[in-house]
Formats: sequence, C-alpha cells, structure tokens
Amino acid sequence: MTSTESRMDAALAGTAELRVWDLPVRIMHWSLVIGIGICWWTGLHNELEYHLYSGYAILWIVLMRLYWGLVGSSTARFVNFVRGPKAILDYASTLHRRDTPHTHGHNALGAISIVLMMGLVLAVVILGLFAVDVDGLHSGPLSGYVTFKQGRHLAHLHYYWFTILLWVIALHLAAVIFYFIYKRKNLIGPMISGKRRGDVGDTEMKIAPLWRLAIGAVVATAIVWAVSIGFYF
Amino acid sequence: MAIKIAVLVGSWFHMSALGFRYVAAAACIAFGLVVLESVAGPAEVAQIKSRQDKLRDMGGALKAINDELKKRRIDWDNTVVPNAQTIKDRSGYLLNWFPRGSGPESGVKTYALPAIWQNNDDFVTLGKLAQVEAAKLNQVALSKDANALKAQVEAMGKACKACHDGYRSPDSEKEDEN
Repeated sequence: MTSTESRMDAALAGTAELRVWDLPVRIMHWSLVIGIGICWWTGLHNELEYHLYSGYAILWIVLMRLYWGLVGSSTARFVNFVRGPKAILDYASTLHRRDTPHTHGHNALGAISIVLMMGLVLAVVILGLFAVDVDGLHSGPLSGYVTFKQGRHLAHLHYYWFTILLWVIALHLAAVIFYFIYKRKNLIGPMISGKRRGDVGDTEMKIAPLWRLAIGAVVATAIVWAVSIGFYF
Repeated sequence: MAIKIAVLVGSWFHMSALGFRYVAAAACIAFGLVVLESVAGPAEVAQIKSRQDKLRDMGGALKAINDELKKRRIDWDNTVVPNAQTIKDRSGYLLNWFPRGSGPESGVKTYALPAIWQNNDDFVTLGKLAQVEAAKLNQVALSKDANALKAQVEAMGKACKACHDGYRSPDSEKEDEN
C-alpha cells in the first residue's frame, strides 16, 4: 500500500457515501439548465417557435419542482431547507470558515438563491405567456387576454426580468466555485451522482416513491396543456 | 515680365476671390445640409411617429386575427375582415413611410436601421412581398376559410419578420417602445 493510499484510507475512515439528491431533483436541475439555455439562445435569435416549446418545458419543470418541494424526497422539500432570518445570519457568519460541517441538502444561504431563482423563472415564464411577438407569429398562449400594446410591454418585462435571473444564476455559479475553491467542497459532483461523502452517523435522505412523481407529472402536463391553448377549451 | 506676373497674380487673385465665394457658398450649403440631417425638423419627427403608429396598428390588427384563431370561435365579420382590411390598406403605403433621412441619423428615436437605405432594393422587394401577402390575407378573410386563414396569418407574420430581422434594430427587444 502506498503512503497516499493509506492517507486516503485514514481520511475516509468513518465516512460513507450518502445519498443527498434523488433522481427527480437531479433531472429537474439539469433539464432546467438546458431549458434556460435553449430559451436564452432562441430568444436572442428571434427563433420564437422553439422559444415557446422550451418555455413550456421550463413551466412544466418548475411546476414539478414546486410539487416535489411539497411531497418529494426529504432534501427536495421546502420545509427542510427554507430557513428563517436567524438561521440564515448564523450560517452567513460561518461562511468564511473552512471547517464547517457539510449541510445535508441546501444550506440556509443556498435556500435563498433556490427560492429566488425558482420565483424568477416562474415570473419570467408567466410574463412570456402574455408576451406579444411583434410579427404576430409566436405570441404567448395567453396574449389574447391583453392588448397589442400591453403585450409588447410584457414582452419587454419578460426580457428585463430574464436579465435579472441571469445575474442570480451567475451568483449561484459564483457560490458553487467559492465552495469548490475556498471551502474545498464539491457541490457539482453530488448534483450529478446524487451522492456525497459524509460521516457514518449522518441522516440519510428519505426517498419519495416514484408513483407520487407520476401523479405530479400528469397534473403538470394537464396544466401546461391548458395554458398552451390559452384556456380556450 | 513684371507686367506679365502682375496680370497672372491679378487673375489668380480674381479667380481666388471667385473661388472663395464658391467655396463659401458650398460650405454654407453643406453645413445647412448637415444641420438639416442631424437635427430632426418637425416633419421628420411627425414622419417617424406616424410610421411607428401605423406599423403598431398593423401589428395590433394581425394580433386581433391571431387571437380569433386561438379562441377557435372565429368572429369573421367583426374582427377578421376589418382587421385584414386595415393590414391591406396600410401595407399599400408601407414603402412611402421610409424616405431617405428618416433613419437614426434624423436624431429621432427609431429602430429603423441604416441598412434600409443601404440595401434599398432588397428592402423594397421585401416591402412589396408584404403587400402581396396582405392582399392575400384580405382575400382569405373574405373567403371565411379557417384553415386558409391560419396558413395566411403565418405567411403574413413571416413577411413582417423578414423585414424586421434585417432592418429593425435588435434593441427593440431590449427597450420598451411604448
């Protein structure tokens, strides 16, 4: 046994692979990344037909994530990670330290960025639903409820709030890099594999059954379909 | 010899005085043109405002027809026919709304790009194509065929987009024109 291996063994003694993110959370996270990327590109290049489809996909993902935040696995639930101001300040005061324990799931500060990003994504999507395309080709499905002028105004707000969302995403990425470089904690790996190394005594994630996800998927699909036809049944 | 030089100098003097007057006049005209070009007169402002209002009306008219298609219960007489008529009528004047000098150089806020006048032949071709589509849209509206309307609304939108893609500043997406 080489000295490096023995040192690794010593470091890993008393630790185990802990499940931290279930498959639905990981799929929703990465498909949201792809969806926002597609929406960004198609929006900038005025490819509004595909912009609409990717927008619907994002609406579906956000609805699913909100639902999973209520009934999903333990680390996905809002009650388990959204914290009050005191807990947030306490956590923020330890941010400069490198020896703090790993939070299982979102930490108190990360929770703010999750809620902020989800809220912004939802707001941008809702604005987009009412937005009017100046060429009249691919306006939002709910644009029939507003005038041309109002719809154009909402299209600009859609653009404006998207740029705000991009800044919050940039902050999220900066935080991940900060954890990786300064705190030596890899947050990206667990979001891919679903697992992280933790102490043996740490509580495991409680996984929600997939049938519950299926119910949500059916309801979310029905909502997105109703929205896509502008509720004109 | 001295006389010869004096005559030459005199004629040069004479010519240069004349030349000076020409140069001064040309400078005044040029300066006047520059001033005319850079400071929008009330005519340019009115021209651009009216163009924007009319184009917005056309966008609103196409939206009204689109909304009928979304509702699946098409109100031909009260919505589709009059709005298709508006688009057709307005499109007839489309190419008159962009006289030289009514671009951003006018100093008036406009998303009309200088390319309109640089590639004017292409711009005119696209404008005429939009007129053709608008006339077709009007015919389809009168025929009251829902499937044909759907297809023609799309063709109309594409004709609008063809021009907007190349001749309308992308800043229009960032800023609120209202």
